[in-house]
Amino acid sequence: MADPGGKRVLVIDDASLVRLYYREALEQAGFHVEEAMNGLEALEKLLGEPADLLIVDVNMPQMDGFSFLKALRRLDPPLSATPALVTSTEARPEDLAAARAAGANFYLVKPVPPASLVEHVALMCGPPE
Amino acid sequence: MADFPQVTPEEFRRLCDFLYRRTGMVFGETKRYYVERRINERMAATGAASFPSYFARLRSDVRGEVEQFINAFTVNETYFYREDHQFQCLTRDILPERIRTKRRGDSLRIWSAPCSTGEEPYSIAMWLLDNWDMVDAYDIEIVGSDIDTDALKAAEAGVFRKRALMRLPPAVVEKYFATQDNEEWTILDDLRQSVRFTAVNIVEPAETRTQGKFDVIFCRNVLIYFDDASRRLAAENLYESLAPGGFICLGHSESMSRISPLFEVRRYADAIVYQRPLEGAHG
Repeated sequence: MADPGGKRVLVIDDASLVRLYYREALEQAGFHVEEAMNGLEALEKLLGEPADLLIVDVNMPQMDGFSFLKALRRLDPPLSATPALVTSTEARPEDLAAARAAGANFYLVKPVPPASLVEHVALMCGPPE
Repeated sequence: MADFPQVTPEEFRRLCDFLYRRTGMVFGETKRYYVERRINERMAATGAASFPSYFARLRSDVRGEVEQFINAFTVNETYFYREDHQFQCLTRDILPERIRTKRRGDSLRIWSAPCSTGEEPYSIAMWLLDNWDMVDAYDIEIVGSDIDTDALKAAEAGVFRKRALMRLPPAVVEKYFATQDNEEWTILDDLRQSVRFTAVNIVEPAETRTQGKFDVIFCRNVLIYFDDASRRLAAENLYESLAPGGFICLGHSESMSRISPLFEVRRYADAIVYQRPLEGAHG
């Protein structure tokens, strides 16, 4: 696996247990992890400091994952081009299509095993700087 | 004994009766020393000159004295990962059985009652993170309840002394707690946010009913303080608080079979637990 080289990942999920679950796996693999509990908080954080990758839950209060992605893609580059991995408990083709339409780059169905999460994040983050 | 308040046997009986009706806990002459120490504490704190004047204040609940009085009587001796064989049972047997009838993304509700200063509900959260690969597949809600509102405040603050952590593997402590001085340990924010704390008296049906239905209830080492009537009442309230097919875990010295016929005994490799039968199930 590629060395993450301190890449910055923002985990956006309203469930604090899930944020911690993903954070643990990613930090162990060498990523730097930040958290947001909904789309609105994520946008605020990203405007403060950009991330190399976003992990985005779908169902969240205040601003859900799809609304967040649509808002993000309308911002100025390079922020608007931040790669996003959507995680969801839904696995129907129309859910995948909706995620793609909203601006997701990749889609994983929960439960996401920690090893699989790390592998996908490493691939999407690209080679270390 | 000289500094104890003068309490006549009749006054003592009335006080124990008051306590019993409010909490379900039974205290009699044999626990007189324990009870008097707490009366003494509360009389000093409120500045009551005599027991009758204190008891009058208590009965009219002056400045929330009932709550303070009950807080003085609860036992808050617990620690993380206490009786962890039941947590093993939770992730190996109970949760796999519960999710068989759920869809991914459905809610999964776990109740720790009583939760004292939070060690048990936080232990459940930590245990799930480390031992259950479905943590992100269900909407997990952990609720901690107690009648002791001081204990609940401490639980919400999430700061613990070393003694509470003695059973935790060092790697777990390092992962989930932060310390400045090796004396006080603060649990991670994400864990603190993963448990909702609320005051509930489990012998009070009007209070248990407000909490909705749970998949699993941990009710450990509290029924031993009750008499038969309160035990039965608590068992009935907990039964009503369980979803059909939901489970209840008691302390190792407690047995639901001796308290209530409502539950089915389930014997798993790691623990004996009790289940509310599925609706329509026979026998």
